[in-house]
Amino acid sequence: MCKRNLLRKTGVVLLSLCMLTGLLSGCGGSNESAETKTDTKEESTTTDDSTKQDAFVEKVFYYGDTTFNAENDESDVNPHNGYSGWACIRYGIGETLFKYSDTMELEPWLATEYELVDENTWKITLRDNVTFSSGRKMDAQAVKECLDDLISVHERAKGDLKMKEVTADGQILTIVTEEPVPALLNYLSDPYGCIIDMEAGVTSEGNVSATGPYIATEVKTDQGLTLVKNENYWNGEPKLDTIYVKTISDGDTMTMAMQSGELDGAYGLPYASLPLFQEKPYTISSVETSRSFFGQMNYETSALQDDKVREAICMAIDKENFTKTLLQGNGTAAVGPFPSSFTFGDDSVTAPEYDPEGARKLLEEAGWTDTDGDGYVDKDGEKLTIRWLTYPSRQELPLLAESVQATLKDIGIDVQINCTADHLSFIEKGEWDIYASAFVCAPTGDPEYFFTTHCLDESSKNRGGYHSDKLQELEGQMKSTFDAGERAQLATEMTQTILDDHAFLFASHLKMSMVSGKGVSGLAAHPCDYYEITVDLDKN
Amino acid sequence: MKKYVIKRFLQLIPILIGITLLSFILMQSSSMDAIDVMEQNTGGAMSEEEKAAIREELGLDKPIAEQYIVWLGGILTGDMGVSYVSGQSVFSTFVSKLPATIALTITSILLTVLISIPLGIISAVKQNRFVDYLIRFLSFIGNSLPNFFVSLLLIFFFSLKLGWFPVMGNAQGWKSIILPTLTLALAMASKYTRQVRATVLEELNKDFVQGARARGIRENKILYFSVLKASMLTIVTLLALSIGSLLGGTAIVESIFMWDGVGKMAVDAITMRDYPVIQAYVIWMAVIYVMVNLITDIIYCFLDPRIRIGQEEA
Repeated sequence: MCKRNLLRKTGVVLLSLCMLTGLLSGCGGSNESAETKTDTKEESTTTDDSTKQDAFVEKVFYYGDTTFNAENDESDVNPHNGYSGWACIRYGIGETLFKYSDTMELEPWLATEYELVDENTWKITLRDNVTFSSGRKMDAQAVKECLDDLISVHERAKGDLKMKEVTADGQILTIVTEEPVPALLNYLSDPYGCIIDMEAGVTSEGNVSATGPYIATEVKTDQGLTLVKNENYWNGEPKLDTIYVKTISDGDTMTMAMQSGELDGAYGLPYASLPLFQEKPYTISSVETSRSFFGQMNYETSALQDDKVREAICMAIDKENFTKTLLQGNGTAAVGPFPSSFTFGDDSVTAPEYDPEGARKLLEEAGWTDTDGDGYVDKDGEKLTIRWLTYPSRQELPLLAESVQATLKDIGIDVQINCTADHLSFIEKGEWDIYASAFVCAPTGDPEYFFTTHCLDESSKNRGGYHSDKLQELEGQMKSTFDAGERAQLATEMTQTILDDHAFLFASHLKMSMVSGKGVSGLAAHPCDYYEITVDLDKN
Repeated sequence: MKKYVIKRFLQLIPILIGITLLSFILMQSSSMDAIDVMEQNTGGAMSEEEKAAIREELGLDKPIAEQYIVWLGGILTGDMGVSYVSGQSVFSTFVSKLPATIALTITSILLTVLISIPLGIISAVKQNRFVDYLIRFLSFIGNSLPNFFVSLLLIFFFSLKLGWFPVMGNAQGWKSIILPTLTLALAMASKYTRQVRATVLEELNKDFVQGARARGIRENKILYFSVLKASMLTIVTLLALSIGSLLGGTAIVESIFMWDGVGKMAVDAITMRDYPVIQAYVIWMAVIYVMVNLITDIIYCFLDPRIRIGQEEA
C-alpha cells in the first residue's frame, strides 16, 4: 500500500512537472505571439484598407547578428558596461559627441564644434535640438553627468580620457584633462562614449535612455533586442516602426533564416555563405575594417634575432593567396596594421613583397642552407624551425597558420603550428617563435592605440620584447601632437619603422560584410564596424 | 522504501562536493580566466590595471581554495552568485533557461517512445522479413547521422523548401519546437527501436511465452501484456539515461535552432571560464542523474516483482 502511495505521489510530481513546463513554455511564447501579431497587423491592415491611400502599415524589420552576447562583453546596451556600448551604438540606440566618416575622419554628431583652449582644456558645443528618449533635453549638464558616471565605472574609459574636471554651461561642455590627450575626441567617439540620460538611469536589464533613432524596449542577453522608433529623433524620421535584433550564434542557421525570409538583414554570416547572397533580391555591403591578423616575432628566439631571417619570413608569406583562396575574398592582404581607408593606412607604407626566391637568398646570406638535402635549411647542424603560436577562436587564424606552414616550407623553414585556446600559458613560458593574433588596431580611428598596446617597451601586448629607439622617440612626439594631419604623418613613420625592423608581419585585414534582404535599403558596412542600424535603414 | 530514498539523497551531498570541487580545480588549471577570454573576444586590449581591478571585484585574485569556500558558502545560503561574464544572477539565468530545456526533453522523449516501441515490436514480430529489414536499415541510418546534420537537413526541407516551420527556434510558439524535437527524437528512436526489438525477441523466446501459447492465449495478448511488460525494464533504463542527458541540454541542437536552453549556456560558460555558471550546471546535472536514477529504481520495483520482493526480504 505504501509503495502504491509512493508511486501515486511520483506520478503526481511528474504530472505537475509536465503542467509546469507547459505553463512556463506558454509564458515564454507570449512574447513571440506578440511578434506574430505585429506581422499579422501589418498584413491585415494592408489587406483591409487596401483601397485607402493613407493606410497605416507597420514596418517591422528582423535583423540577425552574431555579436550581441555576453561572450563579447556585450551583455546589454548600457555603454558604461564593458563593451556594451557597441550594442548601444550598433543598433541605433545611442550616439556619441563625434562620429567617423567613411574615411574614418572625425565629424560632429551630438556636438556641433569644439575648441582646444589649451593642451588640457577642450570646449565642446552641443546641439541644441536633441532630447533623450526619456524626454529630457540633452544639454551640457546631462552630458557631464553621463561622462562623470562613465569614468567612475569604466576602467578603460577612465584610462583613455584622463579627465580631471568637466563643467557644464548651457550647451557648452568644458573638459579639463590631467595631461594632454590629443586623441580625446576619438576616445569620446568610442562606443563607450554614447551619451545617455543618467537621471533616467540604467534598468535592471541594462537598458538606457539615449538619443538614437531607435529605443530598446526589451533587452535579453544572448537572445536579442526589441527596438521601436524614436518619435522625437532629432535628425530625421526613422523609417521602421519595430526592429527585432536576434542573436544567432550558428552561421548555418543565420544563412537559412536569411534565405527563408525570416531575416531582413544579417551581420556576421560565415564566409562560405556569402556567395549565396550575391544575386538579387539580396545585396551585400562590405568594407575593410581595422581588425587585422598579424604575427609578432619573438626576439628571445636566437634565429629571429637575425633581421635577415625575419625579413625572409615576411617575404615568404603569400598574403594575396591567403586572402583570396582561404578567406574566399573576405579579407584584404595587409601591409601594415591599418587598412588603406585610413590616411595613415596601407597606401602610405611599404613592406617586403611576396618573393620566395628573394627570401631563400636572404636565408642563405644569414647562413641558413639545406646541407643535408631534407628540404629544410639548417645552420650548425640545426634545422630552422618556427613554433607558430595562435588560437582557434577566430576562424581566420588557423587558416593563416596553415597557409604560413605551406609557404614557409617552400623556402625551407619548418613551421610547427600550436593552435590552442591555452595560448597565454605558452606565451608565459616563452614556448613560441611567432605569435599570430587578431586585433582591432584602430577602434577609435586614432593610430596611437596600436603602438601603445603592442610595440613600445611598456606595451602590455609587446609579447616578443621588441624595442626600437626610433619608435620610442616617435611615440614621444605622438603623445603631444594634436593636429590630425601631423598625427597621421607620425603614424605612417611609426608603422614604417616596425615594418622595416620586420618585428611584425601583417597578413590581412578583415572585410566586414552585411547582407540585406528584399526591399531593404540603408544597411551599409562602415570601416569602424560599429554603425549598423541608422536612421536611413528602411524596408519596402 | 523511505529509508532507501533518504539514503539516496544523503549520498548526493558527497557527490555534489566532490564534483563541484573537481570541476572548480579543473577550470582553474587553464591559463586564461574569464577576463582574458573576454579581452580576446572583443579584439581589444585591456590594461593590466583594468584586468586587476575586475579580478579583484569578482574575487578572482584570491587563492583557489578561498574562492571555492566562498562559492560553497554562497550555495549553502542559497546564493549561486553572479555570472562573471554577463553580471547577472546565476540562479535567475539558469531558471530562465530551464523551461525551454524541460519542454524539449518532454516532447523528445514522448516522440521517441511513440516511434520506437511500435517499430521495435513490429520489427521483432516480423523478424527477418522485409518490414524488419526496412526498420533496421532506417534505424541504422538514424543512428549514424550526427545531430547537427539532421538539424540542417530538417531546416532545409521543412523551413526553406516547404516553409512549414521557422528556422529560428522560440520564434513562433509551438511550431518552433517541432524541428528540434524531431532532430533529437529521430536519433534516440533509431537507437531504441533496435533495443526494443532485441529485448522483445529475447522475451519471445522464453518459456513463459511458449507456455502461454500452449494454453491458447492470443498472440496479441501475450505480446502486449506479458512480453512488453517484461521488456520494460530495459526500455525504462535507457529512457532514464536519455532523460538525464536531455535535461542537461543539447548544445548543438540548441545552437542551431536558437533554442535558449541550459546546454548552450553550459558550453558558453565553459568557453568563457564563467565558473559560477559552470558550477550551477554541474550541480544541476548531479541532481538530475541522482533523481532520475532514483525514480527509475522506484519504477523497477513496480515493474518487476522480483526486485520488490528481494528488497522486502533484505
